Amino acid sequence: MSNALAGAAIPGLGWSWDDLLFLLLAATVLGAALTVVLGRDIIRSGLAMIVSFAGLAGVYVLLGAPLVAAAQVLVYIGAISILVLFAIMLTQTKVGPVRLVFHHQAWAGAVAAVVLAAVLIGVVVSTAWPNTVSGPLHTATTALARLLFSDYVLPLEVVSVLLLAAVVGGVFLAKRDEPQGEGR
Amino acid sequence: MSHSLDAYLVLSVLLFCVGMFGFLARRNAIAMLMSIELMLNAVNLAFVAFGAFSPQLTVHASVIALMVIAVAAGEATVGLAIVIAIFRNRRTPLVDEYDTMRD
Amino acid sequence: MSNELLVLSLLVLPIAGFALTAIFGRRLGANSWAISVGAIILTWLAGMILVIGQLTGGFGPDGLHFTLYTWIPAGSFQLDANFAVDNLTAALLIVVTTIGMLVHVYSIGYMAHDPGKWRFFAYLNFFMFSMLLLVLAGNFLLLFVAWELVGLSSYLLIGFWYRRRSAALAAKKAFLVNRVGDVGFSIGIWAIWTTVGSLNFSDVFTKLPQMLASGQIQTWQMTGIALLLLCGAVGKSAQFPLHVWLPDAMEGPTPVSALIHAATMVNAGVYMVARTNPIFSHAPVAMVIVAAVGIFTAIFAASIALTQNDIKRVLAYSTLSQLGYMFASLGVGAYAAAIFHLMTHGFFKGLLFLDSGSVIHGVHDEQDMNKMGGLWRKMPITHATMLIASLAISGIPPLAGFFSKDEILGSSFRNGFYVVWLVGVVVAAMTAFYMFRLMGKTFYGPSHVDPQVHPHESPPTMWVPLVLLAIPAALLGLVIGWPPDSGLVHQWLDPVFAQADQTLGLHHEAFQVFGIDGALILVSVALASFGVIAAVRLFGLRLPGRDVEPRPALVETTTARLRPLYTASFHKWWFDELYHGLFFVIGGAVARAAWWFDAHVVDGVVNGVGTFTIFSGREVRRIQTGRVQNYALGIAIGLLVMAAGFLVVTTR
Repeated sequence: MSNALAGAAIPGLGWSWDDLLFLLLAATVLGAALTVVLGRDIIRSGLAMIVSFAGLAGVYVLLGAPLVAAAQVLVYIGAISILVLFAIMLTQTKVGPVRLVFHHQAWAGAVAAVVLAAVLIGVVVSTAWPNTVSGPLHTATTALARLLFSDYVLPLEVVSVLLLAAVVGGVFLAKRDEPQGEGR
Repeated sequence: MSHSLDAYLVLSVLLFCVGMFGFLARRNAIAMLMSIELMLNAVNLAFVAFGAFSPQLTVHASVIALMVIAVAAGEATVGLAIVIAIFRNRRTPLVDEYDTMRD
Repeated sequence: MSNELLVLSLLVLPIAGFALTAIFGRRLGANSWAISVGAIILTWLAGMILVIGQLTGGFGPDGLHFTLYTWIPAGSFQLDANFAVDNLTAALLIVVTTIGMLVHVYSIGYMAHDPGKWRFFAYLNFFMFSMLLLVLAGNFLLLFVAWELVGLSSYLLIGFWYRRRSAALAAKKAFLVNRVGDVGFSIGIWAIWTTVGSLNFSDVFTKLPQMLASGQIQTWQMTGIALLLLCGAVGKSAQFPLHVWLPDAMEGPTPVSALIHAATMVNAGVYMVARTNPIFSHAPVAMVIVAAVGIFTAIFAASIALTQNDIKRVLAYSTLSQLGYMFASLGVGAYAAAIFHLMTHGFFKGLLFLDSGSVIHGVHDEQDMNKMGGLWRKMPITHATMLIASLAISGIPPLAGFFSKDEILGSSFRNGFYVVWLVGVVVAAMTAFYMFRLMGKTFYGPSHVDPQVHPHESPPTMWVPLVLLAIPAALLGLVIGWPPDSGLVHQWLDPVFAQADQTLGLHHEAFQVFGIDGALILVSVALASFGVIAAVRLFGLRLPGRDVEPRPALVETTTARLRPLYTASFHKWWFDELYHGLFFVIGGAVARAAWWFDAHVVDGVVNGVGTFTIFSGREVRRIQTGRVQNYALGIAIGLLVMAAGFLVVTTR
């Protein structure tokens, strides 16, 4: 998305439009993620997850990877989130939203997460990444398709088998046990 | 800042850590799975960000991201199926009551 | 028959007798004595042949030495099973084999009613084997093995009537007290080995003096070795302070007392000191200690013997006293006199014990002298032989004891040990007194015997050995001890101790009958006679032509006047109580404290380790909750630590 407007500075602010867009999307993503994690009502968490995925798709677009953004929307929002919502519906208990969302190790988990974030951010910021260009590069879809069916054809086939296995396994696991006539 | 790699990586790290906290802290199994999806997304973002800023890796990063999405879908399927199966047995989605692996 | 074979037969015959009697004894029943007595008679014959051969110089000046086989081949250290026969050995052999044989024959009659007599004869043979091995040994280790075996035989025989608690305790006491002495003995042997490098007698006795002369070892080391060896002798020969076991050892049957505790085993200590005279003669301090221990034991034991009521206890204390004489003699340098007294004492003390056994047998196992009396009429042979033996031990000429005892006293005086001489003559008087007290209470005066008991003389198997023993008890002194200082015994034994005499600077002056020696003899005989007369006046005597009535009233008043001394003497100067308090009470407390420490502290630590392991395991197990999220937290933390660590390491 490199047009003149994107790199231009916003009057009154020192930033460019791209930066503002990025900040908005980042805020969306993180805010929704926090809602997922901290939400008391699980349906709210599920819906927040969808928002988070959407924001992430926008970030992908910013990064010049439109195909990935499209896949994100189609698969994550379109399929996985629906699955999750169905699962939530199926596993609802008579009791209302549970009082205690977290259990005792939440504090330890929080500490671990914060420390990990600090360490990793420290690493990221202080590293001089070699071979980088100044702006995000656009991924050509044709190049992607060509690569996918030449160098990465084996992983492609394996992933398709994996998906088949996942589907079969999921069906089998979720099937109700029928009373067996013979044997166990 | 959107023209630097660091910002995207920081976003990725933060998202990952939020997801990790959720995985460690939530009692509901489905919430844990959602947190896992967040973590996977964070990783995906990191891949694409690296790809966007390194010329040789651009296309490869996208391919990997696509694979990750596909695998995540499969994993979500199976995971949710397991949770439903367990829920049928135990009538509760709370993971700290799934403790028969103890002793 | 070669000479080596003779020596070996002395050992093989008794041990074979032991084995055969042990295997077949029970089956032979009343005749179980046959194998062992036969073995012993053959042993005696072999012994006498050997002795005659040795004493007539048949084996050369050094005696007979030979090695049977290499016992311990261990690289640079080698120990042979070697045997040595010289004049000293021959003298001991006479005593051991003869008295052994006579005791065996006596036991046929004494143990006739005992169902376990096959065991008795087996043990007797085993004892003979051990004692002969001790006397024939040619190196220290073999001597020590035989020493221990003799102690074992003593234990088995003292506790022969094992169902009797007092007998079992006495056997245990004997063994333990011996053991105390053996600790010192074994340390002494180790000291010899580390100093000289060999344990053979011939090597040690030539090398140690050389090392002392050349300055390789100091006098204090020689003294130390001598004193350590003395520990063993003190234990085995029951000298003070390890004397407490011998009176209790009278729990054993009388033949045992006669053989082991009068004539043979207790002489092992004397023999050992005599054998190791090269070591002792180079350690003058040790010699003085030997003399002191000996003469103190002599008077100490004699003082107790004055008041005892058990006939065997009197004889036991008498043995202690006479052994004290022998040690004193060794200490003043009169080795030959000590061995001479060993020989005569063996015969008359053995005779006394067998006589007492005859008396006990005759009054149906009563040992308290207060319940005897007037037996001279009923048991004439026993009475006659016992009278001879009593005169002998009292040192009345011309019986055997006179010669040997006077040699000891004379040598003490002449070598300058006046205190030893003085105490010695006092002891001689005491000896005479208590022996004739014994005679009076047992044989003379009115009979206090239990009316249901009919005393009788013993069967021939018992009184024939008595008579046979009475002959050397009477005549041995004359035969081998006359003329004094140059009789047969000196011809045999002086060469053995010539080196020692030289080292000590002693020289044998001619015996002056009308000079100092005659005076000394007069003094000791006078004192001994005084003792006899005093006892006779108090306790009576009855001989053809001489009748003295006992005076119990006089005994009472004398006792009353000396009440404190009497009580102390009667209670053996409370040494048993002292040892009980010292070792049993205090030692027991120490042992209990050590047990407490072991059970609570040591075991506490050990158990604590176990408890700690269990506890920590239980706590650590709590990590395994079975909950995935807990495990995930662990993974997260681990990841963190690794990341941080990696960071730290790579940025360094």
